[in-house]
Amino acid sequence: MSRFLTPATVQEALEALAQPGAKVLAGGTDLMIFLRQARMNGAELPELLVDVTRLPELKRLELDGPGCYLGAGLTFRFLDESPEARRHIPVLAQAASMVGSMQVRQTGTIGGNVANGSPAADGMSALVALDAVAEIASLEGVRHCPLSELITAPNQTTLTPGELILGYAITPPPEPEGQVFLKVGRRHEVAVSRLNLAACLDRDLADPRVVLGSCFPSPRRLADVEALIKNGKPGPALWQAAGEQAAGHFTDVCGWRSSATYKVPAITRITARALKRAWAQLEDRS
Amino acid sequence: MPLKFTLNGKEVCLEDVPGEATLLEVLRRKLGMLGAKEGCGVGECGACTVLLDGKAVDSCLTAAWQAAGREVTTVEGLAQGETLHPMQQGFADTGAVQCGFCTPGMILTALDLVEQAPKPSDQEIRRAMSGNLCRCTGYHDVVRAVRRGAKYMRGEGEEQ
Repeated sequence: MSRFLTPATVQEALEALAQPGAKVLAGGTDLMIFLRQARMNGAELPELLVDVTRLPELKRLELDGPGCYLGAGLTFRFLDESPEARRHIPVLAQAASMVGSMQVRQTGTIGGNVANGSPAADGMSALVALDAVAEIASLEGVRHCPLSELITAPNQTTLTPGELILGYAITPPPEPEGQVFLKVGRRHEVAVSRLNLAACLDRDLADPRVVLGSCFPSPRRLADVEALIKNGKPGPALWQAAGEQAAGHFTDVCGWRSSATYKVPAITRITARALKRAWAQLEDRS
Repeated sequence: MPLKFTLNGKEVCLEDVPGEATLLEVLRRKLGMLGAKEGCGVGECGACTVLLDGKAVDSCLTAAWQAAGREVTTVEGLAQGETLHPMQQGFADTGAVQCGFCTPGMILTALDLVEQAPKPSDQEIRRAMSGNLCRCTGYHDVVRAVRRGAKYMRGEGEEQ
C-alpha cells in the first residue's frame, strides 16, 4: 500500500521526495498504469506518492518577456486551448492537441511526459524544438539540463530519486517564425506516434530546428538537416532535400531495420510537409 | 486521514483509502456508483470517464486522492428524479445506446464538450468523443446524440 501526499509548496514536495520509495505523481496517465501492472503482478508499490499537480509554481507560463518559461505542471489540454501558447509556441500547442484523448490531455502534463521518457512522447519533440532546458530541483539545490541530455535511452533519464522537474526554460526561434508539429499514428486520434516531427523556421533560415521523434532512443535535433536548410534557398526543392537527409539520418543511426521500408519514405514526406507548412505559416505572419 | 470530496452534490468521507487506489475503484466498490465502467484500464476506451470539477477524466487513471476536496460527477448525478438530463435524453431519442456499457462515459465527455462549445460542430464532437470507444452502435448515432443533447441543453427542443 502506498501513502499519498499532496504537498502545498515545492519545498514540502522536495522533502517528501527525499524519502526512500517516493514517486512523483505529475498527472497519473502513465504512473497509474504502472501501478495497475505492479498490483496485478504482486510487485512492490512505491512507499509514497507525491501529487505535485496542485503546486502553483508548476503552472507558470511566461511567453511574452525575454525569458520564456513553461511550468512542468501545465497540462496538454491547457496548452492546446491556451491562446497564448497557440500564438507563441504553436509547435507545442499542436503537439499537445494530438496527445491521447481529451481525458488524457486533461490530466497529462509536460513534466510527466518528459520524466516518463517515452521515445514516442509528442510533447518531448516540441519541447526539444523549442530548445527546452529543464529546471530540476531537489533538496540539494537546482540543476539545469537540456532535454536531449536528460533522456538517455527509452524510458530512462538522468533524474535521480528526490528530483522534481519544475519547468522548462525555452528559446523559441526569432520572429517571424513558422512552427509545425506533425505526427503519424495508427489512427487519427488517441494514437501513439509512430513518427512525429517538430519543425521551426525563421525568415533568414538562421536558426532552423528539425526534431524527429519516435525514431531514436532519445530525442534529438537533426543537426545535418538543419545545416542543409541554413545553406539552402527556401522552396520545395530544399524541403524535399531536407526530408531525404532526415531519412538518411534515421538509417545512419538505426540501421536498415524491418520498419525502415515504411519509415524512410514516411520520414522524407513528413519532414518536407512540415517544412513547407512552417514556411507558409511564416509568410502568413510577416 | 479520511478522503473527502463532493460526489454528485453530496459530501462523501472515506476511511483507509490506499494511495494507489483509483477513483474508479473507489466509486464502484466503496460508493456503489456503477455507472463508470472499467473497460481497458489504461485510458484508451473512456468507459470510466467522470467529471472532476466539471472536466472529463479517465477515472481509471486518476488516483482517488486526486479528487480530495473536489467535485466528482458521475452519470448517477445527472437525472432530476424521473427526468433525464437533456444530454441523456439526446442519447435516448437518437438510439445511440445499445448495450449501454460506454454510454455513461460518452454522456459525461459530451457534457464537458458542450460546456466549452454549446453548439459544437460535428468535427468538434468527433474529436471530443474520440477517447470514448463503443463496440456496438457505431459512432454516427453518437454524433447525432451529442448534437441533439446539446440542442436540448440550449433549450431548443426537438431536432427537425
